[in-house]
Amino acid sequence: MPPGLDNLKHIVVLMMENRSFDHMLGSLTAVNPQIDGITAALSNPDTTGAAVQPQPLAEFQGQLDPDPDHHFPAVDLQIFGGNTGAGRAANMQGFVKSYFNQQQDVGHSQKIMYYFAQNQLPVLTTLALEFAVFNRWFASIPGPTICNRAFAHYGTSFGRVDMDLLYVNEPFQSIYSRLINANPKHTAKLYYYDTTSSTMEITNLLQNQPELFGSYQQFLSDCSSGNLPDYSFVEPNYSDHDSDAGEEVASDQHPDHNIQAGELFIASVYNAIKSSPLWPNTALLVVYDEHGGIYDHVVPPACTPDQFTASANDTGTGMPFAFDRLGVRVPAILISPWIPKGTVVNRVFDHASIPGTITKFFLGAYAPRSPRESSADVFIEPNSGAVDPTRNLLSLNAVRTDCPDFDV
Amino acid sequence: MALIHVPRPRNAMDPDRPVNALLKAQMLHLHDAESKLPVRHHTDIYINAIKTEGEAANYIRQVTEAIHAAHAAAAAKRARPAAKRAKRAKKKAKTKLGRNA
Repeated sequence: MPPGLDNLKHIVVLMMENRSFDHMLGSLTAVNPQIDGITAALSNPDTTGAAVQPQPLAEFQGQLDPDPDHHFPAVDLQIFGGNTGAGRAANMQGFVKSYFNQQQDVGHSQKIMYYFAQNQLPVLTTLALEFAVFNRWFASIPGPTICNRAFAHYGTSFGRVDMDLLYVNEPFQSIYSRLINANPKHTAKLYYYDTTSSTMEITNLLQNQPELFGSYQQFLSDCSSGNLPDYSFVEPNYSDHDSDAGEEVASDQHPDHNIQAGELFIASVYNAIKSSPLWPNTALLVVYDEHGGIYDHVVPPACTPDQFTASANDTGTGMPFAFDRLGVRVPAILISPWIPKGTVVNRVFDHASIPGTITKFFLGAYAPRSPRESSADVFIEPNSGAVDPTRNLLSLNAVRTDCPDFDV
Repeated sequence: MALIHVPRPRNAMDPDRPVNALLKAQMLHLHDAESKLPVRHHTDIYINAIKTEGEAANYIRQVTEAIHAAHAAAAAKRARPAAKRAKRAKKKAKTKLGRNA
């Protein structure tokens, strides 16, 4: 067994909000051409027909207001460029058109093509260059937050493509229920920032399992005391609010929340793990739930259909959706001191890969999983049986001592 | 590797920002949760009147705390009969011992 997998005891997932790969990490192609980001060949037409190229002019706050539309019909326009005909092909040519629909302002609509320069995002870009960055991690659905986050918790959205509250249809249990009900029992926790920010995973909160939830302060404490559960899911702060500690600025990076506050939060999660006794035993995945209506150039691939279908009425496009293709590409980075610096992963993943990986790693064979989760690739190889060295990302023979530190 | 500086955001705090679609959805989910709580745990907040992020945050905090309080109250209620049972068993054992002596 490779020592990285042998030592791995804890997996942490931090899911941020609503930014595309090209928007956050597209600048890195200039540093490492293996990273599939922004090139001079990319553009989108605006509503006058002029080609709008991506430019490194993204701002931390105040630029993407109103919030770019990322509900199912808008994302359909972004991906297919407005073609609704039979046999249509995705071309990623409808982002500027889609944003124009919100303000009818050609100049403003072009901002959807802006991306961050590398030096604006010292945390995310450093982590991407230092550890494993995924060139092909897609949102699970070409739609909004709640249904995409559901894939991270359940491996399915139970047929939903919207923001409505979802209820769990047996037999697909959340990854948390699977772990704590396993024999032998495993541990899992969903850490929300504080009670004022709360969680987007209300379904679990409603069930009789409040013990599955903790605050970010508890996460920090569990890291420093070496008491992280086997699996942790961390949520950022979703709102600007006052707390006993003072002013809390939203750190989710959802437009129009401040990007730098999110950078600080990502660094804080990373530092908490890195400075804990569990650093050699922990892998951290930083991933975004969906693209938030912001430009990305990679066509989302087809995937195994789920066993649910959203009706033409539910999708709002006049066409049903069989959950047979992925959403727009998002940033995703896997962090561990066992990962070689500069790793670039080209296999296809989506959020169903999260419960898929956790389940296979901690539980091994587990039958009642959605078709989407069952067919999703894993980003950490199961720690049993023979391991394919070409797939194992935690491949070093010794822990790295050159990992970065952030001043947070 | 050198320590990497992370710039702090300036003037980012704005609790008067209009509520975004995500927070609206979260409020609706929590409103559904609130409706299932015992009445004593209900807030008296009318969510359709919530317009700002600060107001949304206040509602979200109150309902989240109420959910935890309701679960804690239920757990305490479950634990009470168990404690009573234990006390009764102890008393019974004592009586039996006395009779045998």
